[in-house]
Amino acid sequence: MRNVRRWGPGLLLVSPSIVLIAVFVYGLIGWNVKVSLSDWRQAEQTTGWAGLAAYRDLNSDPAWDESVHHILVFTGTFIVGALLFGLLLAFLLEKGVRGEGFFRSVYIFPLAVSFIAAGVVWRWLMNPAPGDRASGLNVAFDKLGVGFLANDWYLDQEWGMAAMAMPAIWALSGYIMALYLAGFRGVPEELREAARMDGASEWRVYRHVVFPHLRPVTLSALIILGHISIKVFDLVVAIGGKQLITQTPAVYMWILIYDAHDYAMGAAIATLLLIGISVLIIPYLVYTVRSEQRA
Amino acid sequence: MTEIVLEHLTKRYPNGFEAVKDLSLEIKDDELLVLVGPSGCGKTTALRMIAGLEEISSGDLYIGGRRVNDVLERDRDIAMVFQNYALYPHMTVAQNIGFSLKLSGRSRQEVRQRVKETAELLGLEELLDRRPKQLSGGQRQRVAMGRAIIRQPQAFLMDEPLSNLDAQLRVQMRGEIEALQKRLGVTTVYVTHDQVEAMTMGDRIAVLREGVLQQVGHPTDVYDRPANLFIAGFIGSPPMNLAHAAIESRNGGLAARLGDATIPIPDEVAAEQGLAEWRDRTVILGIRPEDLHQSGADEKAGSDARLTPTVDRVEALGASLLVHFAVDAQPARTAGIAAATGEHGLEEVPLIGHEGAWFCAAFEPRSGVRTGNQVEITVDARRLHFFDPETEASVRPQKSAP
Amino acid sequence: MSTATTPAPPIPTPMRLGRRRRVGRTSARVLKLGAIVFFVVLFLTPLYILVVTSFKEAAETDPAHAWSLPSVWTFDAWRQAWTLLSPNLTNTFKLVIPATVISTVLGSLNGFVLSKWRFPGSDIVFTLFLFGMFIPYQAVMIPLTTLLADIHFPDQIPRLAFAHIVYGIPITTLIFRSYYATIPEELMEAARMDRAGMLRSYWSVVLPISAPAFVVTAIWQFTSIWNDFLFAVFIISDPAKWPITVAVNNTAGSLVTPYNLQMSAALLASLPTLVVYILLGRYFMRGLMAGALKG
Repeated sequence: MRNVRRWGPGLLLVSPSIVLIAVFVYGLIGWNVKVSLSDWRQAEQTTGWAGLAAYRDLNSDPAWDESVHHILVFTGTFIVGALLFGLLLAFLLEKGVRGEGFFRSVYIFPLAVSFIAAGVVWRWLMNPAPGDRASGLNVAFDKLGVGFLANDWYLDQEWGMAAMAMPAIWALSGYIMALYLAGFRGVPEELREAARMDGASEWRVYRHVVFPHLRPVTLSALIILGHISIKVFDLVVAIGGKQLITQTPAVYMWILIYDAHDYAMGAAIATLLLIGISVLIIPYLVYTVRSEQRA
Repeated sequence: MTEIVLEHLTKRYPNGFEAVKDLSLEIKDDELLVLVGPSGCGKTTALRMIAGLEEISSGDLYIGGRRVNDVLERDRDIAMVFQNYALYPHMTVAQNIGFSLKLSGRSRQEVRQRVKETAELLGLEELLDRRPKQLSGGQRQRVAMGRAIIRQPQAFLMDEPLSNLDAQLRVQMRGEIEALQKRLGVTTVYVTHDQVEAMTMGDRIAVLREGVLQQVGHPTDVYDRPANLFIAGFIGSPPMNLAHAAIESRNGGLAARLGDATIPIPDEVAAEQGLAEWRDRTVILGIRPEDLHQSGADEKAGSDARLTPTVDRVEALGASLLVHFAVDAQPARTAGIAAATGEHGLEEVPLIGHEGAWFCAAFEPRSGVRTGNQVEITVDARRLHFFDPETEASVRPQKSAP
Repeated sequence: MSTATTPAPPIPTPMRLGRRRRVGRTSARVLKLGAIVFFVVLFLTPLYILVVTSFKEAAETDPAHAWSLPSVWTFDAWRQAWTLLSPNLTNTFKLVIPATVISTVLGSLNGFVLSKWRFPGSDIVFTLFLFGMFIPYQAVMIPLTTLLADIHFPDQIPRLAFAHIVYGIPITTLIFRSYYATIPEELMEAARMDRAGMLRSYWSVVLPISAPAFVVTAIWQFTSIWNDFLFAVFIISDPAKWPITVAVNNTAGSLVTPYNLQMSAALLASLPTLVVYILLGRYFMRGLMAGALKG
């Protein structure tokens, strides 16, 4: 019924990409899962079946526990921070100011810079070293007379990863701001005016008219930030290198593979990361493509 | 010889909705047939099925004697003029018009020549180097036509080509399109929701409603003998007055009891419309505003085909004076009428409460009638229409639609 | 931050950040403006440090002068950075230009088919593509390098370029598909009625009006690929072939590298993308938002 002559050419044109994605995304994911279930724990590749051995080893690995703890602290701080700042910045700009374009560009510019370069300067800013190699915020605090605020930043035992989240917040707030800004401006002005005429104070207008509109934005933002956070690699490496104290699962995986040559365990981490992301992303993807179809 | 024959064409969407239901229609060679109806009636879908832009769910389509159901749109040798013109924004007028020719591998020489000829035909010679966004609506419309004409196709399909133009331009373009079509002698299917356009342009018109063909015929036939209440209400502006009336025996013949007025029905009319079986029953009576005249001073006094209402309000249209008045008869409120009046954008009922029907008569523009006047209205009984209140169909014994 | 993990969710809409002027209470507006400026300072602080430190003599990078302007502006650190890193800059250019061009072209073709010349299953294919944008790339890096080695794909930079092209397919396809969705279907139908086939429709009707999408996609890809670290670190084994991000991380990561050199190196690595951002920021933001909220 459906005329192949019509859509055939299209399929043909896209087929190289389909093949590439099929192989290099889905095929390799499958390969990765396979490796995670194998006995390839050393430089020489071996392809024996080991079941969930690598996962079990991971589970009892204190470095793994550490890295999970780190990523959780990081994620929590990062998401809350980026959402708050993004919302705040959007709120400040949403009613329009002169030079808005300039301000927006400033808030978004960190995204044009690589995490590596940002890592360099933020490492300087968060430098916990005392004495001659001191720099950054600790020095600034000292100079401003609030020296007691100086701390170990990312080398802090408990909250190091929260400090690590700062550059990430700096980088992504602008993006979240852009999302919220579009959200704010999607609220028809008439709705706000009607509320004001009904006697609502400006705060009430925000609370009852505007913020409900922003819920879908927050949801999108949460999912995007969550997935970035799980994958974060460049930033952590740039600031903390391979130190245990700043390791995240993504970094640990790199170390396992390159330094320890424990491929199966590395692959196990990758698989777990993938599962974590899928839980977030798959419902989101399905939902958005479906609602686009409905529209 | 390009006839377009639709046989039981149906368009069914995956969710079950049928945009076009069992449409059978024959478009004769060289004729301009207008598909008209309210939005959503399926006219555009039908047109697109002819074009090949929509899959035919069932039924057969023949163009020039050839069954084309499975033929791709590019191979059907027909050209289409789109509602929003669909001009290529980055190409000049000349390139837009000549695009299809260029694709068929004609020499640059030939393309340029043919583009020039087509442009002259449409008065576009001066605009050949402009881009669409530099053109007015009317000019764009003509470029769209040029693009279709240059291909010298077997048939033209036009999808509401004038609906994006302002009223005056529309009137002017109507004439131009009609003249062009006659001159080129190409079979044309023209879609519009504007019944005035349909009436003025078509050799024949086909009225659609909710995917079903209501009536097809010459405009005057459809106007004078609407097959059902929908058509009666849809075709003609201002729309036909409609209300319930009882058919009674009177003086050896029949009369229609409309409120407190009794209108004698001439015997020929009663015979032609087969009213005998409606004796002592209720019908829906229709009479067009222009068939309700202000009674002249010299008309036979005592003629019973008269209404004597009080004028509720008047509308001065310049060419006529519309006089609105109440009739103490049950208003006709059927689905078909609602669908039709919706298209005229009419209000439901005037605000002041009145349980009966509202009628409208078209008087001479300078009759000086005002609100509150009592007037005498002669009903031209030869121009009465009668409809079955249940089926909404005209009581007239129908010939089957061609 | 542009690693290959782009933070772009998949709902296509044009970005609307139009201005709205409102008359608010003056004190509120002053406060807002104050807050806005405060954040501008905050956001630009890292940039300030980067620039200022890079122009200092090594001696001046001590804690006492950490935050002050250079007493003597010098290009020393810049010269050193250049000597060290210009080969890596070249590497990056050799990587970014072909990869950007190819992935952009692929995106255009894919986006065209998936929006305007669809086949049964177009949406499913698109969703499957999109998922490829969210995966943790670590998961596929090892099998990727193995596979490319097995088929003797030209090593080092070509492999890296290949990876960026393949994993760039989702985002480039997304941007073009959103853009092409705004082309009226009638235009394609008119072309079909004019007897244009698929390739002809693309070439004569769609491509000529694709310039904005090309710019947005090219800028986005340029920035992402330039700033990438993860792919490079896994794929490039020869230090001479390191792109600039890896080289900077290596240079700046060392504890003995003086701060001025660290900063100049980081800034050197960031200059091209920053310049692109300053000149063409509008398009960068559109790429960013390709996939933001439904309007």
